[in-house]
Amino acid sequence: MSFFASIRWQDIIDILLNSYILFRLYVLFRETYVFRVLTGLALLWIFQRIAVFFGLILTSWVLQGITAVAALIIIIVFRNEIRSVLQAKNLKAILWGFPQKSVPTTIQIIIDSINALSKRHIGALIVLPAKEDLKDMVQSGIPLRGLVSKEMITSIFWGDNPVHDGAAIIEGDRIAEVGVILPLSYRSDLPSHYGTRHRAALGLAETTDALIVVVSEETGKVLVAKDSNIEEIYGNTDLIKILQAHVGVYEEENGYQQREKFKISIAAIVSVFFITGMWFSFSKGFDTLITLEIPAEYTKRDPRFEIVDASVHTVRLDLTGSGALIKSMQPEQVQVKLDLENAVVGQNIFSITQENITLPPGIFLRKVVPSVIEVTLDETIKKEIPVQIDWVGELPKGLILSEIFFDPEKIEVVGGKRILENLSTIYTEKVHLESMKISGTMFANLALTPAALKIAPGSKDKIRIAYVIKPRIE
Amino acid sequence: MVRRYRFYIFLFVLLCANLLLVHRTFSQNHQRSVDDTVQNKLTLDLAVMCEEVKEKDKTPINQAIVFPIKIGKVSCFSMFDPVPEKTFIYHKWFHKDTPSTNKRLTLQPPRWATYSSIQLRETDKGPWRVEISDRKGNLLYILRFSITD
Repeated sequence: MSFFASIRWQDIIDILLNSYILFRLYVLFRETYVFRVLTGLALLWIFQRIAVFFGLILTSWVLQGITAVAALIIIIVFRNEIRSVLQAKNLKAILWGFPQKSVPTTIQIIIDSINALSKRHIGALIVLPAKEDLKDMVQSGIPLRGLVSKEMITSIFWGDNPVHDGAAIIEGDRIAEVGVILPLSYRSDLPSHYGTRHRAALGLAETTDALIVVVSEETGKVLVAKDSNIEEIYGNTDLIKILQAHVGVYEEENGYQQREKFKISIAAIVSVFFITGMWFSFSKGFDTLITLEIPAEYTKRDPRFEIVDASVHTVRLDLTGSGALIKSMQPEQVQVKLDLENAVVGQNIFSITQENITLPPGIFLRKVVPSVIEVTLDETIKKEIPVQIDWVGELPKGLILSEIFFDPEKIEVVGGKRILENLSTIYTEKVHLESMKISGTMFANLALTPAALKIAPGSKDKIRIAYVIKPRIE
Repeated sequence: MVRRYRFYIFLFVLLCANLLLVHRTFSQNHQRSVDDTVQNKLTLDLAVMCEEVKEKDKTPINQAIVFPIKIGKVSCFSMFDPVPEKTFIYHKWFHKDTPSTNKRLTLQPPRWATYSSIQLRETDKGPWRVEISDRKGNLLYILRFSITD
């Protein structure tokens, strides 16, 4: 119970968010090579973990190497696929949409062809047989056995085609025969504008269980004849339904959709379980302890004051968390900040509490050493201090540096009052004597110590030195 | 009546004249004393760092800003002119702002040259300064130099 009580609302969001991301990746990349390779990679990783668990040194090492290289290769090799998936879809499609399979079915091709024929007023007669054999009922058919395509169907019924007056029989996804002569209906109750094509369609429908689609050459209207009935069709939706019902794919399509929905649901559930498992292994895995030395940072310091001393500069933190989180933790994610807003000149004592420490999620503080920091603040003042050149090295033999003149002789320095009160000289950086053979001039930088000191604005930061070299009197 | 008090009047005038003379004399002495003090104030005429001081005529040799440690000794030479009275001064030596030694040196009127020296050790490399101050601690001059390789 206490285990579930330790789960925060942020953790729930964390799991759901990542589950959704994984689920969306599945939806976007399923049935692509990328997804298959990703699955392979995941399996490799699982085998590698198993190998580690059983202590198979070489196997785990090899699998780890392959996984690492494969992860890199997948990005390079499948960059085009990844790009096409991400570029071809808008944001809504990436976040919400479910891409439908867009493989055109035979029925769709037939409907597209009928629409094209109807639009151009090209007469057509398409027979879709059911269970009964039509051989005895039709005549003069020319075997074709060609795959159904819109171009093929429209060309069959093209006016200049010798077989355009006959019917085309479509079996499955192939055009079985063309130029087929159908038996005519002799009904007397048919409308007067029905021509031979309509009578032929009805004639076959009356004698068999086939479905015949008629495209009127005069009007471009589409009619369907089945079971002694012939009726006009006014839209693609009706035609699809009739054709699907005839071919018996309606249930199949429904079944396909059902299967797709089932697959998606399973994928969603697996995503949630997988991410939950990962989350627990990351955040609630084996507890690991780590000790970090973190520098103390001071915030909201009054600009008039300066930190001149602190009892410690780093704080030792004993942290705990799952091994994975501890491993992935970056030192800059851990911060110790002390608020100097209420600090005063002199010594200030701060207790380091949880509020002063920033930790990445899932990492917890066990101990802080020291728990108290003493910080000494000083008032910032300006002071003019004499400059002295810090000579080093050795002059060429027989020479002495007899005189120097330098400018400026004093420098205005900004720093802590306590420091500056005890500071009587500002030295330059080391100036080497070796190359000084004759009198001349040079420039030297100032070496401000301690580093908290700064040269006051407007004061020169370089010293111009004019020097006089003379021969030594032996 | 007038004859009777003539003697007392004479004594009074004599007393007044005496007082006046005493006052004038005192004033003149005081003025002279002040003038003498201004003219004879202890004055630092020369202060240099050098490798050695010639004992014979008290002159600094090889005045410099930088001294190699191998010379073994460095001196701070100071000459005062005038020296109104016997007094003493201080040479305070600092190595990198840390006091190293404080030498008390006696001065004799009317002019006097004196110096203080330190023996150089390997640890003495770096920037130095010598503060010359009078008996009351008033800073008269600062000399800055370096001990190098």
